[in-house]
Amino acid sequence: MPNPLSFLSQYTNLLAKEIKILPATGGAVEDMQHPDPEEIEDLIINKDTKTITAFAETPEPDPQNIYRATPPLGRKQNHLYKFFIDGSIKTYFLGTGIEGQRSFPIELAQVGAALIKREDDGKLKVAQRKQKVLFLLPKQNQGISDTLWAQLNQLSKPEWLDLVDFTIPDILSENRSDPRDKAGAKARAHMHNLEIDLIKYTDQFRNENCWLILDGAVKFVEEEIWHSWKSKPYVIGVAKSFRKDPIFQFGPRVSQRKDISSILAGLPYAHRTVAFSTFDDKVAFWYVRIREQKNLDYPLMGVIKVEMPRPNKELIDAGLADLLSRALVAERNVTPYGLDRRWHCSLYPIHIAEQVIKNKFYSKEVLLGCIRWPIPYNKEK
Amino acid sequence: MEEIKNNQQLGKEIGKTSATDRDPNTSDRFVFWLAPYVIVNPFDIVEVEQVSHEGTSKTYGLVTTLEHRTDAPSHLANYISSNFGELTEDPNTPRQGTTVAYVNVLSNDKDIYMPVQSEKVVRFADESSIQVALGIDTMNEKDRIPAGLIKMSNGVSAVAYVDRRYILGPESAHVNISGISGLATKTSYAMFLIQSILQKTPENEKSKIAVILLNVKHGDLLTIDQRRDKDFSTEEMEMWESLGLTPEPFPSDRVHYYLPRGRDGKRPNSFLEPGFYDIYAYDLDYSADKLDLLFAQIPDTYSTLESIISEIKEGLRNNEPDFRNVHSWTNLLSGPPLFDPETRSAVREWRNIKASSIGVFRRHMRRMVQVGQSGIFVDARAAREKALSEEMLKIEGGHIYVVDIARLQEYEQMLVFGDLLKSIYSLKADPPDDRKTPIPEKVIFFVDELNKYAPAGPKPSPLTELVLEIAERGRSLGVILISAQQFMSAVHPRVTGNCATKVIGRSGSAEVLSPDYRFLDNEIKSNVTRLSKGELLLSHAIYRQPVKIVFPKPPFRQQEF
Repeated sequence: MPNPLSFLSQYTNLLAKEIKILPATGGAVEDMQHPDPEEIEDLIINKDTKTITAFAETPEPDPQNIYRATPPLGRKQNHLYKFFIDGSIKTYFLGTGIEGQRSFPIELAQVGAALIKREDDGKLKVAQRKQKVLFLLPKQNQGISDTLWAQLNQLSKPEWLDLVDFTIPDILSENRSDPRDKAGAKARAHMHNLEIDLIKYTDQFRNENCWLILDGAVKFVEEEIWHSWKSKPYVIGVAKSFRKDPIFQFGPRVSQRKDISSILAGLPYAHRTVAFSTFDDKVAFWYVRIREQKNLDYPLMGVIKVEMPRPNKELIDAGLADLLSRALVAERNVTPYGLDRRWHCSLYPIHIAEQVIKNKFYSKEVLLGCIRWPIPYNKEK
Repeated sequence: MEEIKNNQQLGKEIGKTSATDRDPNTSDRFVFWLAPYVIVNPFDIVEVEQVSHEGTSKTYGLVTTLEHRTDAPSHLANYISSNFGELTEDPNTPRQGTTVAYVNVLSNDKDIYMPVQSEKVVRFADESSIQVALGIDTMNEKDRIPAGLIKMSNGVSAVAYVDRRYILGPESAHVNISGISGLATKTSYAMFLIQSILQKTPENEKSKIAVILLNVKHGDLLTIDQRRDKDFSTEEMEMWESLGLTPEPFPSDRVHYYLPRGRDGKRPNSFLEPGFYDIYAYDLDYSADKLDLLFAQIPDTYSTLESIISEIKEGLRNNEPDFRNVHSWTNLLSGPPLFDPETRSAVREWRNIKASSIGVFRRHMRRMVQVGQSGIFVDARAAREKALSEEMLKIEGGHIYVVDIARLQEYEQMLVFGDLLKSIYSLKADPPDDRKTPIPEKVIFFVDELNKYAPAGPKPSPLTELVLEIAERGRSLGVILISAQQFMSAVHPRVTGNCATKVIGRSGSAEVLSPDYRFLDNEIKSNVTRLSKGELLLSHAIYRQPVKIVFPKPPFRQQEF
């Protein structure tokens, strides 16, 4: 059976012919993921919002009592969440390219996203899956020349492969200074694009009885899709990791100021915080404790952050937030304990979606089989 | 779900093969995962597409074990997923898991033994595929003997044929049945197999096969000519029909019963008396050359008993002067040359054998043929009391001879069994000149509790030597041994090793771990411990793997307990 990634050798051959290459050890090195990419995303996306001052639910909550009971509401009582989306990413450093005075990393990424549908009997099915291989290079004054870029683009490529210039700015990559980090963030943005495709696919199915859960923040979603959602998107984002630095200010006095740690430490099991407003009032978010603290090591474990888009900035109904939170508490089991260090706040269908993607990624052996730099090179460019 | 069940019934897709880095498919085995709701059991036979030089081929396999796997890396993960041990916790999403079946490769219809590739659709084999899988399609039609029914989880059944040439020779021979499968299961199966052999033998060949059955328990085999009391159920009749056999008892005009003489000489010493029978007994004349068989279980470290027996055998055979007046057991034990009637004690020394040894011999002999005997030893046989060795020289093809030894003492049973083996062996090896009718080409010999007669051990007794002789060289003479016992490990390994067909019923785990079961894979061994009553594992020379079979109940009457 031929190597499915054999087309990549056309890129590597052309690059090796035109520029000087310092290959990575062993042909390719997998870039380690940051321990908490979701938390970093949260920081980047909400960099302008450090202090939370507004509530996002109605009726207006009492600042003295910001916790609401949300006892678990299982699938058998009300099967609310039927779709789950997660994406995954693997990036590899292939080598350093040197063209003229410029040196830059050459990266490869596998990105994918899976949409899982849960039937009423609890069985999971893969409803849709999308996958891409990205060949990431910097262009302009940071990377390869226009001529070589054009030559690379002229190669007829298969549909699963994208040649990506990771210097094109986007919200995730523009804040990174290290070129390899930038390439990773760019790949992550492409992974989100695949997730967005899957969200669009569920548009026809979502309603008040059929909700979609995205892994992580909802704010990465493009503006375009926000317009199409109108008032009720029936989508929430659930983040296992989130920034720990926001300050909540519920009044003018210092005593009315709380940090997130004290809020979450006091959040009882099967309760949620009231909903807060962020992202220019277009997103409501709140926290839900899905596991009892007695079973966990730290007070912040077992808490998830829920984000709900509200494109028209309407306050959300507290009853709806309660309902969504109750159904989320019921999602705590089964748990990927032993497979994911964040098992305490993991939703199992999301974990399965991640596994679907990861298991479909090409192995390192397949990848290395087609990354063979035709070197050693000593020629001067 | 209904559709999936229907697919299963029709033998359609049941799963897909799966090869992983740590668990690869090989030439000998492959693995497949099961689609939801599919039911597969060990010993089901499945087929999967395989490569070929032209088009595709089919690889057949036998399911050995099934495992249910989930994505939980530990039991602790499951405990935690049940909300830290809450028994009533009902998870919102069931944990992902699948049942995985391990399959031993049976055959490929184009002789391609490349490992089965991953992601290939697996199906239940249908009846004709099962026969291809086992190699039955390569057997000549006339050599096929139904040995039981293979019943699969999807309801499909197929006849497990064995090859006559591997049961009765010349390719190989002998059948051994072992297990603790239940009351009379082993005997019933042996009788079923014998019946199957006889029914599937062409008429003109039937007269060339004689059968000798040893009845060792109750009256199990003393009513084989009588129809059973209960009618067969529809299922049982269907099983007989599927096997292509007729549920009939053995014909009365072809069955002969030999029962041992009782103590009083009037009635036989049997658990029950058939409508017709002959009585057998042993006088000294017909026993002299078999005295060693009586001593099979008596320790004889310095071979002194062996020397005495040898002297007596020679003396009687050559009518030596010492033995001129020895014509009965009483003469032998209470007169010269071993006993001095005047001193009423054993002679002091005889042919360099000391008095103490002669005394030991006499004590054993008196216990066996006089004091402790069941009635078969007589000084002089009555006219209607037959000598078995004489009767065996007259056996006819197409007839069944049942010799009852159920109520005999153990040493008497050994004598009778050894006598029969010797007689048949000499009939085949050295036929009597005065015989007018043809000698049967094949003599099938069935004996239960073989471990008594040929026990495992370093020093074989004379009787064990006889059994070994039959097991190792009987095939060339046409003497076929169908034997049974509870534990194969208790039988001399050279006997079971020479059986080309082995049948195993339920057995304990300690038993199947003994070296005698090396021919079974470990997975199959564990299944042997779970066989139900009436289920047997059939290992035949033609089959690459043993298969699980069922067989119908006997059509003849059996004693109720």
